Amino acid sequence: MIEFKRVSKSYNKGKVRAVDDLTMTVNSGEIFGFLGPNGAGKTTTLKMTVGLLKPDAGTVAVNGIDIQDSPLKCKSITTYVPDYPAVYERLTGLEYLNFIGDVYGVQKKERLARIEKWLEIFELSGAVGSPIQSYSHGMKQKIVLIAALLPAPRVMVLDEPMVGLDPRAAHHMKEMMREHCDKGGTLFFSTHIMEVAEKLCDRIGIINKGKLIASGTMAELRKLNEEQSLENIFLELTET
Amino acid sequence: MTKLFTLIRVSLRANFGLSVLRYRIFTEKRDRWMIPLIGLAVLGLGPTLYGYLKLIEILFGMLVVIGQQSAILTFGILSGQILILIFGLFYVISAFYFSRDLEILIPLPLKPGQVMLSKFAVILVNEYLTVAGFVLPVFIYYGILAKAGLPYWVNVLLVYLLLPVIPLAIVALLSIGMMRIVNISRKKDALIIAGSLALIASGLAFQFVLSRSAGSGINTQALSDFFASPDSLLMRIGAKFPPSIWATKALAGGWSANGLLNLLVLSGVSLAFFIGILVLSEKIFYRGLIGIGEISSRRKALSALELSRKISSGRRPVRAIFGREVRIMNRTPIFLLNGVLTVVLIPLVFFIMAKAGSRDASLVALLSAFSSGNASTTALVVAGFMTLCGTINGTASSAFSREGGQFWISKAIPVAPKDQVIAKFFHSYMIALLGILAAALVCFQAFHVKISVLAPAAILALAASVFLVVIGMTIDLARPLLDWINPMKAIKQNLNVLFATIVDTGLLVSLGFAAARLLKAGIPARSLLLVLFAVLCVFAAGSFFLLLKFAAKRYREIEV
Repeated sequence: MIEFKRVSKSYNKGKVRAVDDLTMTVNSGEIFGFLGPNGAGKTTTLKMTVGLLKPDAGTVAVNGIDIQDSPLKCKSITTYVPDYPAVYERLTGLEYLNFIGDVYGVQKKERLARIEKWLEIFELSGAVGSPIQSYSHGMKQKIVLIAALLPAPRVMVLDEPMVGLDPRAAHHMKEMMREHCDKGGTLFFSTHIMEVAEKLCDRIGIINKGKLIASGTMAELRKLNEEQSLENIFLELTET
Repeated sequence: MTKLFTLIRVSLRANFGLSVLRYRIFTEKRDRWMIPLIGLAVLGLGPTLYGYLKLIEILFGMLVVIGQQSAILTFGILSGQILILIFGLFYVISAFYFSRDLEILIPLPLKPGQVMLSKFAVILVNEYLTVAGFVLPVFIYYGILAKAGLPYWVNVLLVYLLLPVIPLAIVALLSIGMMRIVNISRKKDALIIAGSLALIASGLAFQFVLSRSAGSGINTQALSDFFASPDSLLMRIGAKFPPSIWATKALAGGWSANGLLNLLVLSGVSLAFFIGILVLSEKIFYRGLIGIGEISSRRKALSALELSRKISSGRRPVRAIFGREVRIMNRTPIFLLNGVLTVVLIPLVFFIMAKAGSRDASLVALLSAFSSGNASTTALVVAGFMTLCGTINGTASSAFSREGGQFWISKAIPVAPKDQVIAKFFHSYMIALLGILAAALVCFQAFHVKISVLAPAAILALAASVFLVVIGMTIDLARPLLDWINPMKAIKQNLNVLFATIVDTGLLVSLGFAAARLLKAGIPARSLLLVLFAVLCVFAAGSFFLLLKFAAKRYREIEV
């Protein structure tokens, strides 16, 4: 579970308010999709969840632990996939996965089983011994995803995880997300793909200019605007 | 032409981060504290500059008697040009082939020559800044001492502008040629490192030849031989690298026929080299460039057994991070050449200086005399040299900056900042150890320093290096440069590396001065050695503890 309580974050000495008094909860066992136009505050919110950014005000708690008070405890149960797969290009895929396994304390037996499983699912077995530098954008995205899955985290925070993935990988990705939450895990992700959000998410939050303007299940969102598709609801709500 | 100027302007702005700096200082008002800090750093250079000017003054006094004072200019010019020949290679390869803006520039409707020229302009400006510290004090102080008139100062400006062109063009030609070969190979990184080493070795060999022909050290017999006839010293050097002679004569001759003729020759040859690389770049620059980002695509899938064997059995986080640091440093040619190679290069230069001269050359004679005399005093000098060789490299002071865009991983993983810093410290210290070892070998082999002297010197250097590595890391942690697109910016053009070098040098010089004063005051050298060791141990432990505390704070503050 992730809880945001009156969280604010601004840039440029307070001139740009990226997140404004955000209060919301992502429950355990649920896939929560975070939507919003460019620059709405999605990435800032996700980054505050994993400790990459520090809120100016308010608290972010992961499974009841405040990320600012006990960052290591939070990080040991959370993994993050950024919007751009910036990873150690000079390491091989396997070296990177080993590194992640080491720092999250994943034992060899589990490590081997999980790496084998995800490499096969994401069709990366043939490339894992090569430097990440030689990977395509999609392959880099896959290795970051596998690294995020390797510690079998309780909470996953994903920023635009589908970008760069081929249809097959995107399909496996969605299956993985469902599986993760069916086991009681929490998944908080941002996306611009309305169809994915509509079909996959248990609940959806829409953020605009740093403020949460709507949140709930698809049925609840439909009631709000009497619109049929999420795309129309999104366009209506974020219209300036 | 407009396209070219726009491209050059944008390249300079991007490379020096001018737009970002202006935004931060004037719009965000964030980095204003840097202005006084840069002022302080410049002030910190004061003592070193004073010493340098004093040396120029002494040499001028010696040489003016025999009418050879312009040899000072030659040494200034030559040292600047050799510096460019040896170290310019890093700039050239990095800017030409590893800068990520190439991905943006290549698809634009620009000629290869225009792209290359913009790169060349950036390197040229870099070189003006790099050699300024060596060359400008010589030019300016010489002009003052010689009471030079307007022609000298006008020529100084022209010669300074032309100074890097020929050596840089030579380096650019060599790199374009080298990259053309490298690009064919699948092992690009290894070849780049090997090729760079070969070029640096050639540069050093050239320096060796120059030293041989000019005579090394202040050997009075050799000097009197050189000064027996007018311009003899200049001509001997000039026979190996004529541009330095043309430049010297252009400066010393002012607007006389001889001065103008030499200026014309220097300008003409510089222009010819410039046109040469322009023509060549149009033909082969892109051929070497395109595909440099491609890494071997012949991938071999790992068998289940291989995969199982290669899965590590759970290393501790400190070890995992240490391994990551070593791998990334050693596999990134720019990091390896600037970080690791420098610690070997400095002792090597001293080795060549010692071996190029005769046995009674000043440096060898000085240390040999020390060695046979007061062992403790020699140990102090040697310890300073070892520390210098071990720590004057950018490894510690770019420890955080080198992570660049990947710093989010360090922020997101569940490893305490203190453990991450300990791993980075071990890595930087390991490289310092390499430098200390190389320096010890040079002292033993070339300067004939005894083991009994080397051992206490090494112990002292080990303690001093802990302190200096910690200082370097602290400086980088205070203001890590994480938004680079060219790895060169993280280590070579990183202000943190410059600040750390100034602070380290300042501390070593201050310690040296303090030690010399105490020795003069009659404190026994052996006692001084022990006191210094104890003081350094306290500094090392204290600073390390403070660094760990600082890391816990900074890892929270740094936002990515």
